[in-house]
This record gives sequence, C-alpha cells and structure tokens, in this order.
Amino acid sequence: METWLEFARGPLFRLCFAIMLLGLARIFFLDILGAYKAYRKAGDKTMPWKLIFSRSMEWIFPVKRVAHNRPVYSILSILFHVGLLIVPIFLYAHVKLWETSIGISWITLPYDWAYWLTISTIVFGIALLIGRLLNKSSSFLSRKQDFLWPILLLIPFVTGFLCAHLNVTPNSYRFFMLMHVLSADIIFILIPFTKIAHCVLMPLSQVVCTIAWKFPPNTDEDICKTLNKKGAPV
Amino acid sequence: MRTSIITDEERNKAFESLRKPEVIEKQKLNVRYHIEDFDVNDRTRRFLEAFAAILKHSNYKMALDHFIRMSAKCSRCAATCQVYQATGDVKDIPCYRSELLLSVYRRHFTMGGLLKGRLLGSGYLTDEKLREMAESFWNCTACRRCVLECPSGIDHGLITHLGRYILSEIGISPRALVVSTREQLEGATKNTSAIPVPALMDTLGFLEEEMLEEKSVNIKFPIDVEGAEYVFFPAVSDFIMEAETLMGIAAVFTATGDSWTTGTGYFDGINYGLFYSDRILERVVKKVDEETRRLNGKNILIGECGHASRSAKYFVPAYCNGEKAPPVINIMEYTYKVWKEGKLKLNPDIVKEKVAYHDPCNVARQRWIINQPREILKSFCMNYVEMSPNGENNICCGGGGGTVSIDEIRPYRTTIGGKLKADQIRKSGCEILIAPCANCKKQLKELVEDQGIECEVMGLHDLIYKAIVFDDSLIVQKENESETLKEKE
Repeated sequence: METWLEFARGPLFRLCFAIMLLGLARIFFLDILGAYKAYRKAGDKTMPWKLIFSRSMEWIFPVKRVAHNRPVYSILSILFHVGLLIVPIFLYAHVKLWETSIGISWITLPYDWAYWLTISTIVFGIALLIGRLLNKSSSFLSRKQDFLWPILLLIPFVTGFLCAHLNVTPNSYRFFMLMHVLSADIIFILIPFTKIAHCVLMPLSQVVCTIAWKFPPNTDEDICKTLNKKGAPV
Repeated sequence: MRTSIITDEERNKAFESLRKPEVIEKQKLNVRYHIEDFDVNDRTRRFLEAFAAILKHSNYKMALDHFIRMSAKCSRCAATCQVYQATGDVKDIPCYRSELLLSVYRRHFTMGGLLKGRLLGSGYLTDEKLREMAESFWNCTACRRCVLECPSGIDHGLITHLGRYILSEIGISPRALVVSTREQLEGATKNTSAIPVPALMDTLGFLEEEMLEEKSVNIKFPIDVEGAEYVFFPAVSDFIMEAETLMGIAAVFTATGDSWTTGTGYFDGINYGLFYSDRILERVVKKVDEETRRLNGKNILIGECGHASRSAKYFVPAYCNGEKAPPVINIMEYTYKVWKEGKLKLNPDIVKEKVAYHDPCNVARQRWIINQPREILKSFCMNYVEMSPNGENNICCGGGGGTVSIDEIRPYRTTIGGKLKADQIRKSGCEILIAPCANCKKQLKELVEDQGIECEVMGLHDLIYKAIVFDDSLIVQKENESETLKEKE
C-alpha cells in the first residue's frame, strides 16, 4: 500500500499533471491558431470586440443568465464550480505539498472555509447528478460520461474529507489517500480529452463563433471544382 | 419557461395535408411539375465528400474542432427552443440536432474518431441518419435563441446552417427556395418573385399616384439615379404584397430630401443562400454589390427584411472586398437617424390602437437593431405595449430559416413553430403588431389567422406612412382646390 501511495503521489501524479497541462495547452493553442487562420481567410475583418468581451464575461460570471432558464440547476452548477476550483487550489494541505516540492506557496483557505466548501461541493455535486437524471431533456441528451463525471469528481472530495476529518486506522487512512490521489490522477488524464476541456476553451467560444460566421470569399469556384460541379445550374 | 406541449388534435392538424384529395386530383394537369432527376445512390459517400470539400474551402473546421469538445449536455438550449417547447419531442432539442452533425465530424474528420471507429467498427454514416438530419435541420427555424443560452457557447445555428449547406450539395433542399433562387440567379427577371421590370415600373407608378391622392405630396420612387446616396433593395415580394411599407419608405425620403434610388438592373434584397447554401449566398450578395457599383451608389439600403439585412450587412464585407465594400444600412437605421435629427415629423394623434413590436431574429440577435424602432414607435403611438421576452432574447415568429417560404408546411409553422409567439401576442392584447421583416410578416399574418388572434400585422413604415407629417412646402395644391380658391376670389 505504501509503495502504491508513493508511486501515485510521486511519478504518477507528475505524469498525469503533465499530461493535463500539456493537453490543455495543446488544444488551447490549436484553437487560437485555428481561429487566427480562419480570420486570415475571412473576407470581413471587423470584430465586434465589445460584444465578444461582454458576452464572454457574461458566461464566465453567469449571474445574468441564471434566472429564467433552469434557475435551480444553474445556481447549483455555479456553486459547485466555486467549490470545485477553490478547494483543490487553496487547501492548506495541498499548498504545503507544492511548497515542499517546487518551493512556491500561496494563500490558503481558513480551516472552516475548507470544511464547509468541501461539504457543499459534495452536496451540490450529488444534487446536479440527480438533477441530470430526473430532467427529461438532460437525461436524454447525456452520454455515459455526463453521468460518470459528477461521480468521478466527487471521489477526491469525499476521500479527501474522510482523510482530513475522520479518525481512522492508518491502513484505512492510506487506502482513502490512495483513492484520493488515484482518482485525481484519472481526472487529470481525462481532462484534455473530454468535455472538461471547457475549462480553457470556454473563454474562446465567443471569438470562435464570431470568426466562424466570417466566411472566406470566392469559395464558389473552389468547391465546384473539388466536387466536379463546374457550370452546374442552381 | 414551462413547456406547453401541443394537443393531439393540434398535432394531427399540423401534419395533415393542406388540401383535400379531390382538390388535388382536380389540379392535376398533364404537365404540372417538371420532376428533376435526383441521385439517391451513394448519398452517404457524396455527403462526406461534400463535407470534406466544404471544410477545406471554408472556416467551419476550426469551429467544429471547438464544438466537439465542449458540450456539457445540460439541455439549457431546450428551454428556449420554441419548436421543442411546442412539441415536447426530445429530438427537437438543439443540442441533439447539432450532435447529429458533430458526431459525423468526430467520426470521419478527427484522428480520435477515425481510430475509435475503426477499432470498434462503428459510427458509419447511413441513409437513415441522412434522412434524420434532413428532417431535423429543416425543423429548426435558425433563430439562434439557443446560442444565447448555451454555457459552452456552441453555435447551434451555425451547425444547422452548415448541415443544410452540405445537404444542399447533395441535392437535398426545399423546392420553394431553390426554384426562387434559380429565377433570381439564372432567370429572365432576376428576382425571386419573377417580377419583370415593366411590371415593377407599373407598380411604382401606381403607388406614386396613390400617395399623391392620399397625402397631396409628390412622393416618387427614383429609378436608376446615378450617384445616389442610397441604393434600395427591399424584399422583392414587398412590391407585390407590402405596398404600404414601400410607400412609407418613399414618404420618409421625400420628407428628408435625401437621394435614393432603385436600380432596374437588380432590385431584390432576398437572399435564400443564407438559409441553404453559402455558395448561393455569395452569388446573390455579389449581385447586390454589382448593382450598387453600376449606379455609383454610396450605401446599400436594405428594406424591411430581416434575413436580407443580415445577409447584406455581414456578407457584403465578407464577399465584396472587406473594408472597401459599400456600407450596408437597414431602412430602420436610416429612419431612426433622420427622426432623431428632427427631419421626420410624426403625428401622435393618428395611431390610437394598442401597438406592439416584434423583433426579427436576424436583426435583433446580434444586438444590431433593438431600441431604434421602439423609440420611434413610442414617440407617436400613445398605446405602445412591450412583449416579453424581447430584443436579443425575442421569440422567433416561427417561420424563420426559410421555412416561411414553404407553403406546404403552413400548418406546422402556425401550430408548432409559431405557438410560443402566438401565445405571446395573445397575452399582449395588441391590435397592431409591427414586424419589420418580410418573412416575419408573412408568417405572423398566417399565424394570427390560423390561431384566431384579432391582430393586424404590418411593417414599421406602414405605420409611419399613416402618421407622417409633411412640411407645407411639399404639399401640392390639387386642381379642384385651386379652382375653388379662384372662384372665391
């Protein structure tokens, strides 16, 4: 168990974290590169930056968009994201680990905040899963990964909470800690290859959609030639 | 928003044939329709080839690469889609519709999809799927309300647009749109309503006489004027069906004195390419630009038509030399400008009815024209009411995306596509509904008729024509009046 734990917290963690960072960087830059190439090809070069910026902000801080469309689910989702992002990054235990490994540290959450944020994230996560299962349109649309992701994301929270707050035998502690780290490793590997990639791609959505509507000129002839339709009537 | 699903009775009415079988029999002549040969062989291969060709020569690839990774499958789009709200059928959810095309892209055009497909031997494109796509993409009115609600920012309207484009390359498009466009691009009359130039001149002459009779002002439709400030392109159906709108526009120009003209070389703002094919979109936009340059016009002025305005505004710069292209203005922008400058006077005592304003999707969704017509209306309509939601979040008339031109699906449009809009109009209790879009007007007129709503649908300039006040210097003394004055003296 101990060697497994050392492996999961050490080399495996480094590998998975690297895959996540490199994978996200890859799709982020490919997205921007694709948008830039499309912009170069486009006939209309005007960009409504104000509209793009205001819409992007509206979605990154989605306070306006919540009220009239599935308000309960939307609010739960926002609160879930808050805990999901803040706890792993600002938890004292995690920051200490970063400090011992790379020497950099940053502000940490007070104990009570971490406690309640973790519990609320778990509760909201379960609520979201139930919301997805019970809503007719959501459950029809959802693929397997859409049901599995809330469960997977909650495992590190539950196991981490158990390790931090429960009095258990050392073996149990090591087991939960191993589950904690392994589940986190799996999450890291899967992030760049699934919908969780939205964490880096979402801010680019408005730019991508705006450029996508800027069609390149003179494609009529090229397409006709490619499809062997030159001179065909309408 | 709650789903209000249609009843079985409404559903049956929507999908039954418009005409009784006996009537159809009587209408069968020896040669009624020319049936064109269309190829049904190898459709799936041709679909993928067309898809590949389009991806190569367009900007869609980067958007699709972005969308395939993003969807959270949250179904927020379902709550705003008026088609889903009316049918309650899960296959009408915008995200599901987009997934039809995105799954094909993922499987055939991404490395991961190709490997997975080969490994599992799955995901091959079938004729059934093509049929489902064709049905689904044309159920959508392309109003793009779903785009505003998607937290991942996926543009379902763009995906529907692309899906229709690819289908058109393999010969699957609504007959009504293709036939009109054929006349517009290759026919003798060069417009979608097949109006020959002499008929146009007759119509305009008649309208000028009407306006002199009604307003005692010489209101003219200038033709082929070189170097005019504005070259006018209405939805050409306005010349047949919406005379009051044209009269209102001509009246505004007479009041302001600005120079404008209609060109006999080309006078149709309609662009069905926006609905079914980018290649056609380009070809039609170029005709608008060509006519403007022929007349040395300074600006392209589009009449009261949503899709014509959008095709011109966003695609004239795209296809006609970017910054050097002539600026495109919608008539409502022009009227708002001159009204603000005080050049347009409107009598506030004429319109007593309850007036509401319908935002056409194509001008409101991108926040282009929302407040301008409202400010004008509020200044001379004392009983103005606001429908809600409106503006950027407006509800589609139900006939968008070219579906209004397909007469055969009128029951579908008025009982399903337009159901939410009908409920909204009924709730507002308005007696006059302003719909400054030729397609919306047609759809809303059919909608209020089929749904039994007491409401008159008209354009913004129809109402302006009723209330416009001309300067005294423009008023023409009629012959009878001057004789009477002479007698009195």
